[in-house]
Amino acid sequence: MVRVNTPEQDLFERGILARLSGVDAGYKTATVLFGIDFEARAGEVALITGPAAAGKTTFMHLLRLALQPRSGRCVILGTDVGRASARARANVKKRIGYVAENPTFIENWTAFDNIAMPLRLAGQKPRDDSDDVRELVEFVGLTDAADLTVEKLSGAERHRAAIARALAAKPALILADDPTAGMSPADGRRIVRLLAEMRRVGAGVVIASQDESLADSAPLNHWRMERGRLSPISQAATEEAEAFE
Amino acid sequence: MRNALTGVERAMFWTLAFAAFAAAAAGLAARGVDRVAASYEAARSNYAIVRVLAPEGPAGIAAAEVALAQAIQVTSAAPMTAGRAAALLGGEVRAEDLPALRLIEIELAAAPAHVDVSGDLVAALAQGGVTAEVIEAPDDSAGAGLASRVRNAAFWGAIGFALVMGIIVSLAARGLAARRREMVTVMCDLGATQGQAAGRIADEAAVMGLYAGVVGGVLAGIAGFIVLMLAIPGVSLDALAGMILPVDLTPIAAAPLGAAIAAGAGARAAASYFHAQAARLG
Repeated sequence: MVRVNTPEQDLFERGILARLSGVDAGYKTATVLFGIDFEARAGEVALITGPAAAGKTTFMHLLRLALQPRSGRCVILGTDVGRASARARANVKKRIGYVAENPTFIENWTAFDNIAMPLRLAGQKPRDDSDDVRELVEFVGLTDAADLTVEKLSGAERHRAAIARALAAKPALILADDPTAGMSPADGRRIVRLLAEMRRVGAGVVIASQDESLADSAPLNHWRMERGRLSPISQAATEEAEAFE
Repeated sequence: MRNALTGVERAMFWTLAFAAFAAAAAGLAARGVDRVAASYEAARSNYAIVRVLAPEGPAGIAAAEVALAQAIQVTSAAPMTAGRAAALLGGEVRAEDLPALRLIEIELAAAPAHVDVSGDLVAALAQGGVTAEVIEAPDDSAGAGLASRVRNAAFWGAIGFALVMGIIVSLAARGLAARRREMVTVMCDLGATQGQAAGRIADEAAVMGLYAGVVGGVLAGIAGFIVLMLAIPGVSLDALAGMILPVDLTPIAAAPLGAAIAAGAGARAAASYFHAQAARLG
C-alpha cells in the first residue's frame, strides 16, 4: 500500500523544518506574538534579534512546542502542532534540541550525565553512547568540567553543557535562546559559530539574542523581533544555499 | 536509587518505613485479636453440659459417661465435681454446701452448623438408657456473636488503618516527586512523554517504598515477637515459632508491596502534574 504524505510531511521532506503563518501566541490573557510569519530550513541558521521583552523567548517557546498557537498555522518538523496529539507533540519535541536562556539541569548529576540524558531517554545504554557524549563534550569545549556536577559549573560552562545536551540526540531543529548571555563577545561569537556548524549536518538552527553583532558570525537569515512582530532583515543563508544549488 | 540517600530523601525513607511499620503492626495486632477471638468462639461453641435426669444417682452418671464415650460428637467428658462447680460459680457457694450434682462437662468436636449436636447426643444417651438434656452456651447471652464482631472490627480496622498509612506514604512520595521536579522539567523539555517522566519518578519512589516497607515490616515482626514473648511468660522460642501460622505473616509480607504501590502512585500523580505544567506554558 502506498503511503500518502500529508501536506505537513511534504513540507518537512522539502527541508522546511518550521513554517509559521499568521501565528498569534501568548500567556493566559496576554497576547505576546502577533501575526508571526516565519520559516526555518534544514542546513540554515536563523538569528532572531530584538530588544528585551520583544517576544523572542515566547517565540522560542512556540517553536519548542511549550506554547500553543492561538491563531494561525504552526507546522514544525512535519506536524501541525495546533492539532497534534500529546504523543505526536512529544515525538516532535524529541527531534528538537533546545538551549534555554537559563538552562535547567539535574544539578546533582555530572555535566556528562546531563548531556547524555536525551540518549538515555531514547533508550541507549550508557556503554553505547559514552563515546558520542565524549565527542560532544570536546566539541563544546567542556572536557575539563564534564565530570563535575552541574551545580559547580560557571554560567558559560552551563551554556556549553546545554548546547551539548541539545545536540546529543542529533536533532533536526536546534533552538538557542540567548545562548551568549553573560559571555564575553569572543566567547559569544564562538558559541554561535559552534551552533552554526550544525547546519553542515543538515540541522536547522534558530538563535534568539539581543546582540545584533552576532549577525556577522556566520552566513545566516537575520530576523528582527519588535513588540511581538517579526520581520526579516536579511536572508543570507537562504541566498547562499540557493546560489550553491 | 542512583545515589546513596541523603538529607530529605533519608527523612522520606524513614517516614515511609514508619508508616509501613505502623500498618504492619496494626495488621499483626488485628491478626492476634482474630486468633484470640476465634479460639474464644471455638472454646465457647465446643463446650456443653449434660444434665442427667434419669436414672438418678451415680448409676445414671456412669451410664451417661459410657454413652458419651461412644458418641462421635464428644471429644472429652468429665462429671462435674462440687469443687469445680463452686469454682465456676466464683466462690459464691462453698463446695460442701452443694448437693450431689448430675452434670457432666463435655467438649464437642467441630460440627457443621446445620447439624443438631444436642439432639444427636440426647438420642445417643437415650440409646444407652439415660434420659438427659444437653445445655449448650445460649445464643442470647452476652458472648453470642461477640467474637465475630470483634474479628470483623479488627479486620476492617486494620484495613482502614493501612489505607490511612497508604495515604501518608503516597503524600510523602509526592514530596519525593517535588524534589525531582527539575528532572521532570528537563525530561519534558527533552521530549519525554508524561508517562516516561512520571514513570521514572514513580519507579524511584516505588523502589524506595519497597525497601522502606521491608524495613517497616521486619521491625513490626520483631516488635510482634517481643510482645508475644512478654504476653506469654515462659514460652520458648520453639513453642512460639510453632504457634505462628504462615497466614499470620501476611501483614509483614504486604507492607513492602503496599508501600511500593502507594509510593509509586503518589509520585506518579505528582510527577504527571509537574510534567503537565512544564509542557504547557500558555
